[in-house]
Amino acid sequence: MPSFALSARRIFDLSLGQMLWSRRTIFLALVVSAPVVLGLIVRLLTSAGFRGAVRIGGGAVVAGPSIFGLFIWLLYLRFIIPVLGVFYGTSLMADEVEDKTITYLFTRPIPRGAVVVGKYLAYLVATVLVVLPSVMVLYFLVVPTGGGSIASTFPALLKDLALLGIGLAAYGSLFAWVGCRFKYPLVTGLVFAFGWEQGILLIPGYLKRLTIAYYIQGLVPHAMPQDDSALSILQVVARDALSAPWSLLSLGVIWLCFLVLAARTAAKREYVLEQ
Amino acid sequence: MTRLREDATARHALPPPAADQALSPLPPAVETATLSKWYGQVIGLNDVTVTVPAGVTGLLGPNGAGKSTFMKLMTGQLRPSKGSITVLGQKVWGNPAVYFRIGFCPDQDAFYDRMTGLEWVTALIRLNGYSDAESLEAARRALATVDLLEAADRKIGSYSKGMRQRVKLAQAMVHDPDLLVLDEPLAGMDPLGRRKTIRLIKDWAREGKTVIVSSHILHEIEAMTSNILLINHGRILAEGNVHQIRDLIDTHPHTVYIRAADPRGLARHLLSHDDVISVKFEEGALVVQTAAPDGFYSRLTELAASGEAGEIAEVTSPDDNLQAVFQYLVK
Repeated sequence: MPSFALSARRIFDLSLGQMLWSRRTIFLALVVSAPVVLGLIVRLLTSAGFRGAVRIGGGAVVAGPSIFGLFIWLLYLRFIIPVLGVFYGTSLMADEVEDKTITYLFTRPIPRGAVVVGKYLAYLVATVLVVLPSVMVLYFLVVPTGGGSIASTFPALLKDLALLGIGLAAYGSLFAWVGCRFKYPLVTGLVFAFGWEQGILLIPGYLKRLTIAYYIQGLVPHAMPQDDSALSILQVVARDALSAPWSLLSLGVIWLCFLVLAARTAAKREYVLEQ
Repeated sequence: MTRLREDATARHALPPPAADQALSPLPPAVETATLSKWYGQVIGLNDVTVTVPAGVTGLLGPNGAGKSTFMKLMTGQLRPSKGSITVLGQKVWGNPAVYFRIGFCPDQDAFYDRMTGLEWVTALIRLNGYSDAESLEAARRALATVDLLEAADRKIGSYSKGMRQRVKLAQAMVHDPDLLVLDEPLAGMDPLGRRKTIRLIKDWAREGKTVIVSSHILHEIEAMTSNILLINHGRILAEGNVHQIRDLIDTHPHTVYIRAADPRGLARHLLSHDDVISVKFEEGALVVQTAAPDGFYSRLTELAASGEAGEIAEVTSPDDNLQAVFQYLVK
């Protein structure tokens, strides 16, 4: 019998093209283009001499790298990455079940878990390919504003990209399990990502440890602008964050546990196709 | 008198035909013991104990009878709620290794529509662990077998219903399995495609393989095999050779259609015998139900020879075809 790794690799080959050229990808490509549009607006305003565009409440001037950091944190990590995770992750198995194509995969001599892992890998590649152009364009649009330097901030960009990759991996793993486990995975995923996570992070205490966003926050490398009322809440949140190593370790555990759970769930669960 | 009862234990277990026995040196392809499958409150398959021999076996039943559930249990897609099933001597749920020996053609019209036929079949055979070159070669061979090589590079989304059925067959047989499980494989095929597929299935069985094919259309099954399993409401009602099954109905009300010059005169003669249950007149004809077909036919022949009831132009019985057998048994 083909090994688990070979089976996963071949499922990856089969799934990547399907995933990349799906309607979902077109829709999500539009979602990830939103920050680019915002970045373009910032760039146009600063080019036109509206320096107010990069000033915040207290009058402090925010440099391009910090704006880029805010985009990464507020738009990508808190919104776009969970959206990608929910929409792609929950659909890894659900789409196959809904389209009734799961039969062809589950009647081949491969472990069912390899189907999940292969599709998860395809998800990672597909989402990186969707997000990467958006982040790069935004970076070149926004960082030079307010005196920012592309050359000096390039290492930070790599950290940001790594952070986005970690976020996609962690959310994808969680929502892959949700997709394998629940009957209405998209609803469950949306409630978690935009109900539970967003709400619980604003409440002091330990409950926020039951979110992925909390651990991702601990990895955010950007220093937030000081003395700004609009960002004070974010500062409070950031102050509660775990250290980077602990965050990384926690995310690794979350990633591994949910991926294993997803594979096990797919192996044990019966998928009854509606007639 | 043999009666069909709702009780599954009353199922008619008939020995396979002698010819089939001689051609079946292999162990049973599928064996079940008190196999049941239910979906919540809905029973899909109910207490089925059956042995499916090598060769072609037709699984016959109306829509919703439990054919697809049985086939999904055979192919390890569903877990038995009760009882057991072994395929080619091995348990099948949670045992992907056995899929090397099974090919499954599902009834659903589901594909990756953006892929071409060749890409799709190649991608699926690659999952069996073959190299890229081997997979491509096997896929081409399978597509050629189902007469689809010319359309191999077209997207499946552009295929006709018959072509889609054939590409499903190709993916089922691409790895040369010992057991082919085909769920309604002829649905939507044109007459030519149907004939070719039937021939293909027979050829496959002639090579010593086993084919289990389902249909709700009796003459389709009849064209492929005489060995059938009749299923309804999740129960196997009868199994064995279709001719032996047909004998069963001789103990059940039997309908005979008689075209005669004087139907009323003929009816008078026939009704004087106790075995005639009912008589119905149609235009220039008589439809008789009898409880003893053998005696009835003898008398009718004598009556026709004597000319006492006028000329008898035509005698046919819907019981002479499989449709009637099926209707009797699933009633």
